[in-house]
Amino acid sequence: MSPAISPFALFFASIFTSNILLANFLGMCSFVSISKDMTSSNGLGLAVVVVLTVTTGVNWAVLQLLQALGLVYLRFIVFIIVIAAVVQMLEMIIDRVSQTLYMNLGIFLPLITVNCAILGVSLFMEIRDYSFIQSIVFGFGSGLGWWLAIMALSAIRKKVDKAPVPAGLKGAGITMITIGFMAMAFIGFSGMLQVQ
Amino acid sequence: MSDVDTRPGAILKNNLWTNNPIFMQVLGICSALAVTNLLTNTAIMTIGVTLVTGFSSMTVSLLKGFMPRKVRMMVQTLIIAFYVIIVDIVLKAYLPEISRNLGPYVGLIITNCIIMGRAEAFAQSNGPVISFWDGVTSGLGYMGVLMLIAFVRELLGFGTLFGFQILPESFIPWTIMVVPPSAFFLLGFVIWAGKSAMNRQGAPA
Amino acid sequence: MNKQSTLYTIVFIFIVSFSFVFLLSMTNQVTIERVELNQIIARQRAVLASMGVDVSDPGRIQEEFDRVFADEDAGLFARRGDDRVIFAMEFVGAGLWGPIAGFIAVADDFDTMVGIEFVEDNETPGLGGRINEPWFKEQFQGVNISGGRIRVSVMEPADASAGRVDGVTGATRTSDAIESIVNAKLAVIRSDETREQFRNLLESGGDA
Repeated sequence: MSPAISPFALFFASIFTSNILLANFLGMCSFVSISKDMTSSNGLGLAVVVVLTVTTGVNWAVLQLLQALGLVYLRFIVFIIVIAAVVQMLEMIIDRVSQTLYMNLGIFLPLITVNCAILGVSLFMEIRDYSFIQSIVFGFGSGLGWWLAIMALSAIRKKVDKAPVPAGLKGAGITMITIGFMAMAFIGFSGMLQVQ
Repeated sequence: MSDVDTRPGAILKNNLWTNNPIFMQVLGICSALAVTNLLTNTAIMTIGVTLVTGFSSMTVSLLKGFMPRKVRMMVQTLIIAFYVIIVDIVLKAYLPEISRNLGPYVGLIITNCIIMGRAEAFAQSNGPVISFWDGVTSGLGYMGVLMLIAFVRELLGFGTLFGFQILPESFIPWTIMVVPPSAFFLLGFVIWAGKSAMNRQGAPA
Repeated sequence: MNKQSTLYTIVFIFIVSFSFVFLLSMTNQVTIERVELNQIIARQRAVLASMGVDVSDPGRIQEEFDRVFADEDAGLFARRGDDRVIFAMEFVGAGLWGPIAGFIAVADDFDTMVGIEFVEDNETPGLGGRINEPWFKEQFQGVNISGGRIRVSVMEPADASAGRVDGVTGATRTSDAIESIVNAKLAVIRSDETREQFRNLLESGGDA
């Protein structure tokens, strides 16, 4: 049973009001370390968008199969294997199709398998009972939201690096507090969309 | 990390304090930060993480002699996923309420970087018993920080601790403590406090 | 034996996966009955909670539920309490993120709500997720629904006699979703057809 949630609302909400990173804390590990550098942030963000959209769709199909077979309890293992396989395949495809794209995107792909956001979106998709269309939209929107968040943070960090921050707060500490302010700003988007 | 001190006491101190997975390495926060607005959820979640880290380190260490190099990561992921599924099944069977509250975050223990990190950095080159100990203490270091955050968030956000009313009824809960940004702020402050204390001790950061 | 050979790798992966999956299916088999029982109890608890029955003691849930007449196919429940008759109906509707499901209970005059209980929601924790907090659910007790509608809003002051309850601050979309879900279900509950079904349920159960 799929609830009648309009894909548009879902798309908007997954980018802004409930950003996968700022509201659900997913994908933090690579977020904090990569956001030091803007070019890498851009590449990783783009890779996350692609991988999230594809894996959420594939995992949706896999989940239907698991449900039919009564093996839903194995979903964690199966999801993570699907993600690893999709990432590997994307890497091969990109490598053969375009060298420039591979240089910009490909090097970030292996990092993504262990990015919690990817598995997280698949698990949310399962718990919320999304239809195929909803899953794709949710995966794509969450990816864009993640990309937006990491770009914004790396831009802010560039400025923060020049600020006189207390020694103990330098690096991870001030980054966390910056993310906190961003999360507050994003919550402000909540009022922007009406139901129905 | 080839010259790690492998005495149990040294590991305990290292994992709980000098090399705390959260404030020294900023690892593995994704899966658990989201549930830090209630102490009970945080406790169950971090106990789960601790057990999974301990047992998967032990299993990786037991299997290290048989493991082909090229599929090492994949086997490690399998091992971790195996223990996480056990945690998930046990929670569903014995603590259904909590399992519902934790929702997708139990599954996300798989991608917790601490577990894979300990398996790679320690269990690959040490015996099973000491690897188990290393995993458990890492989990405890992680638990300590998250419980501290959850303590502040639940106390100020709901006026309760473990669901029991602590602050008087007249206390107005701070909504900010319930919503996500407060977790980032508090984590920032914990990292600040931890690092400053360590700088004062003159320990290598 | 060469540990880096393809054959060894395949055999190794096969043995590891096989033993893990075997152990998992064992664990699953052992606990599956318990999980199902938990689901049944959770559902009974929710029905009773919507009817305002004290469910703080898990041991008494099944005993209390014996006094409820249920039509599981239609999602209808009727309970002859000590002093009054209460009807409850299951609902499922679209929230902000996913389905919101639960039970709505009304008094036998069909003009007063007795309570609401949610069994499933995926609303944002700390915002929309606050619909599960007692203060939000308790507001629905005794709300006048003779107009057939309720209003969930933070803008207008709550007034049970006028069918108004407070929304959740910062979760307008969840509040609106609850309002439309409850109103849609109230229309069904208050229709002549459903009233008839409730009465039949009560009578058939009364004989048994």
